[in-house]
Amino acid sequence: MTASAPATPATPASPTASSSPTASSSSIEAFVEEASAFLDEHATRRPTGTARVVWGEGEDRISYFGDEPPEVDKAKVDAARAWQRTRHEHGFGWITGPTEYGGRALSPLHDLVYDQLEAGYDVPDTGVISLIGLGMIGPTILAHAREEIKQRYLPAMFRGDAIACQLFSEPGAGSDLANVATRAVRDGEEWVLNGQKVWTSVAHHAELGMAVCRSDPSQPKHRGITAFLVDMSLPGVEVRPLRQMTGGAEFNEVFLTDVRVPDDHRLGEVDDGWRVTMTTLMSERASVGGEGAGPVERAVSRSYLTAMLEAMGLSRDAAARRRLAEVLADLTATGYLNQQSLRTLLDGRAPGPEASASKLMFSHNLAAASHLAAEMVGPRMIAETGDWGTFSWNELLLGTPALRILGGTEEIMKNIIGERVLGLPKEPGTDTKAPFRAPTGEQS
Amino acid sequence: MTVTTTAIAGAEELEDLRLSVRSLLADKSDESRVREVMESDLGYDASVWRQLADQVGVQSLAVPEHHGGAGFGQVELGVALRELGRALVPGPFFSSVVLGAGALLAAQDESAMAAHLPGIAAGTTLATLAVIETDGQWRTHGFTTRAREDGEASWTLDGEKSLVLDAVGADLYVVAADTPHGPGLFLVESGAAGLEVTGLRALDPTRRVGRLTLTGTPAAALGRPGNGTAALEHLLDRATAALAAEQVGAARACLEMSVAYARQRVQFGRPIGSFQAVKHMCADMFTRLEVAEAAATEAARAVDGLPDAPPAGEAAAVAHAVCSEAFMFIAQQTIQVHGGIGFTWEHPAHLYFRRAKVSQLMFGGPAVYYERLLERWGV
Ligand SMILES: Cc1cc2nc3c(=O)[nH]c(=O)nc-3n(C[C@H](O)[C@H](O)[C@H](O)COP(=O)(O)OP(=O)(O)OC[C@H]3O[C@@H](n4cnc5c(N)ncnc54)[C@H](O)[C@@H]3O)c2cc1C
Repeated sequence: MTASAPATPATPASPTASSSPTASSSSIEAFVEEASAFLDEHATRRPTGTARVVWGEGEDRISYFGDEPPEVDKAKVDAARAWQRTRHEHGFGWITGPTEYGGRALSPLHDLVYDQLEAGYDVPDTGVISLIGLGMIGPTILAHAREEIKQRYLPAMFRGDAIACQLFSEPGAGSDLANVATRAVRDGEEWVLNGQKVWTSVAHHAELGMAVCRSDPSQPKHRGITAFLVDMSLPGVEVRPLRQMTGGAEFNEVFLTDVRVPDDHRLGEVDDGWRVTMTTLMSERASVGGEGAGPVERAVSRSYLTAMLEAMGLSRDAAARRRLAEVLADLTATGYLNQQSLRTLLDGRAPGPEASASKLMFSHNLAAASHLAAEMVGPRMIAETGDWGTFSWNELLLGTPALRILGGTEEIMKNIIGERVLGLPKEPGTDTKAPFRAPTGEQS
Repeated sequence: MTVTTTAIAGAEELEDLRLSVRSLLADKSDESRVREVMESDLGYDASVWRQLADQVGVQSLAVPEHHGGAGFGQVELGVALRELGRALVPGPFFSSVVLGAGALLAAQDESAMAAHLPGIAAGTTLATLAVIETDGQWRTHGFTTRAREDGEASWTLDGEKSLVLDAVGADLYVVAADTPHGPGLFLVESGAAGLEVTGLRALDPTRRVGRLTLTGTPAAALGRPGNGTAALEHLLDRATAALAAEQVGAARACLEMSVAYARQRVQFGRPIGSFQAVKHMCADMFTRLEVAEAAATEAARAVDGLPDAPPAGEAAAVAHAVCSEAFMFIAQQTIQVHGGIGFTWEHPAHLYFRRAKVSQLMFGGPAVYYERLLERWGV
């Protein structure tokens, strides 16, 4: 997970406060002025009209997951940290956060306005810091950590000094996260962690991890779980990169061997880690589906795809037109859905269950657009011919399967919709009441 | 050409409107009543029609105030249409209030509006629109029906119009015909000389369809002859935005029906909704419906010209495609969730299935609406 998760690429609302329905207060205007001055001073404005794609112009790499060599990857992360630090120093690092931890205590509207403004500038992509760390672990720390821990880590995270990762999944605990087997055993004022985590995005850059561990195997599986913040530099933490199908290595295996974590790094109560974990997962589901202004949004857009139709000589091809229209209809309507959720949020009302629909549509739309693009490109997708906007689609195409898996698989999302939104009965679970037993082999 | 909306209802007013339409329909137009009237000669319940007009004023919602309406827009009309779609209420609502009034508004003909909108708004005049001809294609130009100018503002029409909604029983027909100046819209009153109206056997018994034969039939020009294509295109935005509201209202009824059944029907010792195959069918219906709902809402806002809405041509075309597909999908899955009972005449699922197919095809069908979407974007 290293890029923002847009659901309506490329027709960005104009980056002004006036495009937001409730942006009438003068404080918003003052904020816009302050933010614009900051951005003008520290970043370059993108030439206007970049939303309109001119075929053959500009960067043609389109990837959701990078596959750069480690030096390039590292340089990008450094740039992300530097930009986050600059934001933070000028009061834009944590716009909605409490002031005692370095935030500005402003409204979500301010946050949104800032994002819209920043989308008009060329700035480093900070997804490596923000998506998991700031977006998911930050809110969890705020809700469940002790005061000293909040003071110690939150400012560092929002300054870009501490990247956080999510040490949740294990070989035996994916969709069934409550099946985690990594053991946490209390030893005085410390806990000793032993186990293996897997698919951990950004762990190779992270200073901090949130680990979900088994503290009491004699309780049913949802009960005996405790969550910890883990300093990734502690002895016994070993991060091994995993290469994903796109070719790059952005997720990892993390081995925890006798890692000693102080008790004050515990999140929430002992054995109450499932509730803490829910805080994180809810933030994850809420964050998927926002809008961004990166290369993916630019490519998965009406402007790009219609320019492609023409460039590939398919303007009069009835079959290609029909498929394009189907993809664009869904893409545009999903954009409307997100706009409406945003309006709901800005009106101070709680968003409804539409966010789960948005997540499913997002992965559907990206896959549909990638396969359509591949179809329009034709055989030039199979090798690098040097033609702009052709082979470059392979990175996005290869990234799309992950979108149906990460952050809760499609099937799990449908279970959630069926059970929590529509009120359908759960499947009779066979293992929710019985005491957790550590998996002895392949199956538990 | 935007039709300005003078009044905008707040969230509370919209909710009040929804509740009053819903309770009236629950009371007076439940499923058994719908089945009764759909098989009657008239095809709808005249007293429900009157109560919708007199008690709630549904027919007048989107008619401008100076023409006897409430002066609201598509957003408010959409609330009522969702309820009418949900209950599959038979009657000339879509034909008269959406297409008839919509055509008068789209043509921007002041004197025709003054003459006919108050009657439509009161529910006393039933208007409808006749565009499609014997080849069954929806088009906005190139009609075989011809209009001949007979003298000062007086015309006669010759031709045949097919697939006209609620043709039998209408008081006023808006007829598209070619003129020497290009396509135009014309008003023909019921009982006019040389007008023959026949009912056709319809796929959806809650939505009547007929045919018009015009032989030297006297007509009045609606708007400037030659302006018909522009007026029809504009009308199409309003009409498909309205249809989208009706589609999502009906689709939501299908989803609710399916979920209720999946919770209660037991097989293999457990409710079928606990089986993932069924649960996921419902989740897919929900997802498509959420997107369709968003598209319908945005289309209404766009047609009303709300400041942060997308262009009406885009939003209406998106909504027509997305809501047509979603409703058809949901109507099919509803039968699947119900199993054999869903395939019976007694179960309402087939009525929704029929409505879904008719709605999907009445303005041309998938090939037409996807192509129209690209055209709206200049592709
Ligand atoms: C790119 C990427 C980044 C990731 N980043 C992180 C990270 O940073 N931190 C982290 O902790 N994890 C991360 N993950 C892991 C991710 O959360 C899991 O892969 C995911 O939850 C699925 O678990 P699994 O891989 O074990 O698959 P499984 O759970 O074994 O699923 C296999 C298949 O079975 C289906 N299935 C399983 N249970 C059910 C059920 N109850 N009903 C129906 N179908 C079911 C699934 O839908 C899937 O199709 C990442 C994954 C990817 C792909």
